[in-house]
Amino acid sequence: MAAPARSLSLAVAEAALRCQDELIVGAEGANYALMSQVQDKAFTETVPLNVSLELTLNCNIRCLHCYNLDRDLPQGSCHDGGGESDARPDLSFEEVMRLLPELREAGCLFLTLSGGEVLTYPHLYAVLDRARELNFAVQLLTNGTMLQPGVAARLGSYRNLLGVSISLYGATADVHDGITQMPGSWRRTWDGAERLRGAGITVRLKFIVMRPNAPQVAEMRAQAESRGFSYLVDVTITPRHDGTRGSLAMRVGEEQLAELYRGPLRDIVPTGRQPVTEDRFPCNCARGNCAISAKGDVHPCVSVPWAAGNVREQRFGDIWRDSPVFQKIRGLRIADYEACAPCPDKPFCSRNRGAAFNYSGRYTGTDPFVCRSAAITREVVTSTTPPSAARE
Amino acid sequence: MSAGVTGSWRRDSELPFQKLDEETIVVDPRRREVHLLNETAARIWELLASPQSVDELTTTLGGEYDVAEAELREAVVELVDGLSSKGLLVSVGGAR
Repeated sequence: MAAPARSLSLAVAEAALRCQDELIVGAEGANYALMSQVQDKAFTETVPLNVSLELTLNCNIRCLHCYNLDRDLPQGSCHDGGGESDARPDLSFEEVMRLLPELREAGCLFLTLSGGEVLTYPHLYAVLDRARELNFAVQLLTNGTMLQPGVAARLGSYRNLLGVSISLYGATADVHDGITQMPGSWRRTWDGAERLRGAGITVRLKFIVMRPNAPQVAEMRAQAESRGFSYLVDVTITPRHDGTRGSLAMRVGEEQLAELYRGPLRDIVPTGRQPVTEDRFPCNCARGNCAISAKGDVHPCVSVPWAAGNVREQRFGDIWRDSPVFQKIRGLRIADYEACAPCPDKPFCSRNRGAAFNYSGRYTGTDPFVCRSAAITREVVTSTTPPSAARE
Repeated sequence: MSAGVTGSWRRDSELPFQKLDEETIVVDPRRREVHLLNETAARIWELLASPQSVDELTTTLGGEYDVAEAELREAVVELVDGLSSKGLLVSVGGAR
């Protein structure tokens, strides 16, 4: 009889990584070995270890880059690309309660609860109670503006809460609040982050880099580091899941991206993070990860709104195992990605399937922004210019 | 802390865990730790859903493993000690 095989510090607070496009910076970065091993096993065994559950589409702010929907349009309005699915009601509380044990039974451990704004969901604490009973490791994604003292303290009572990820869009209130279209949100978000930390909860900031805040990236990083918060950086803005493309106006331009990668992001530019192998192209979608929308659709990941089935109509485990969409994704090989297969920038590419899917309408398609990002990454990584000089 | 031979133990019911193939992943969010239990440790983790003494664990596992009782008991003590020292167990009724 052997002793417990291994024991290491917890590596991954971002329980359900959306894709490989996120550049993570923080104190936990050194301890990925065991979690990588666990995630590899989930991938190989096709176990939905990481599930993201969108509890509501409601949100208290109206971010210009929102990937869900164009919040400046009346919901349910007939705009370009809006689908019939928009008219369906969100999953009821009873449906969510029925779903959670199914996720557990299928193998989920890391359960990410999101929105919309997850704190607008009226039954959040009941869901958290049930998630605790079922021994999920829970992470919340929030904009942080609703984290009043009582809320932070209550969240702090959940010992199964792995952490809270808070989105931040600027180093100054005017830039952040301009993006959220909510005056005072920058201040409230920072206050919320501090309150969570005060309640003993691990907080990770998430910087979404866009045209308005790109000049502030260095300052955003400095603020997080000086206050002792880990953070990740994401530069990819996608078309929205409702089919609208207004969010793309927020994308950084190619020159701006190149300047970021040569300058304030130089030290965290990915250096060929993902080995290019037949069965690992592109990512963990439908292998160890999936996402469930507020309408009950099961997607290969948060970023790819390609419905493999709906939990109102089928048990989650049946969708996970038998869905033709998931079977197709699992069967894809590099050659199936026609534009990617011959691309010399593959080792430097985020392979962001969400961007590709939302931009091209095809899971195996491409998004020129991602392609350009890979090319810039290659240029930067293969450059002989040392990072310190590049930042000057 | 030693599991010793007296008292009972149960797993901390609030800790997230999940079986993955024959192993079990246990997460301790507060300590920022994750533990991967091999098959044997995972079996003990399973049994510790309800309070168990070392004697009870040894008896149960004796029917499952082809190991001499003394050797099995020693291994159980070692495993319970290991899990306890990582903060994964709760002592119940006088466990030391």
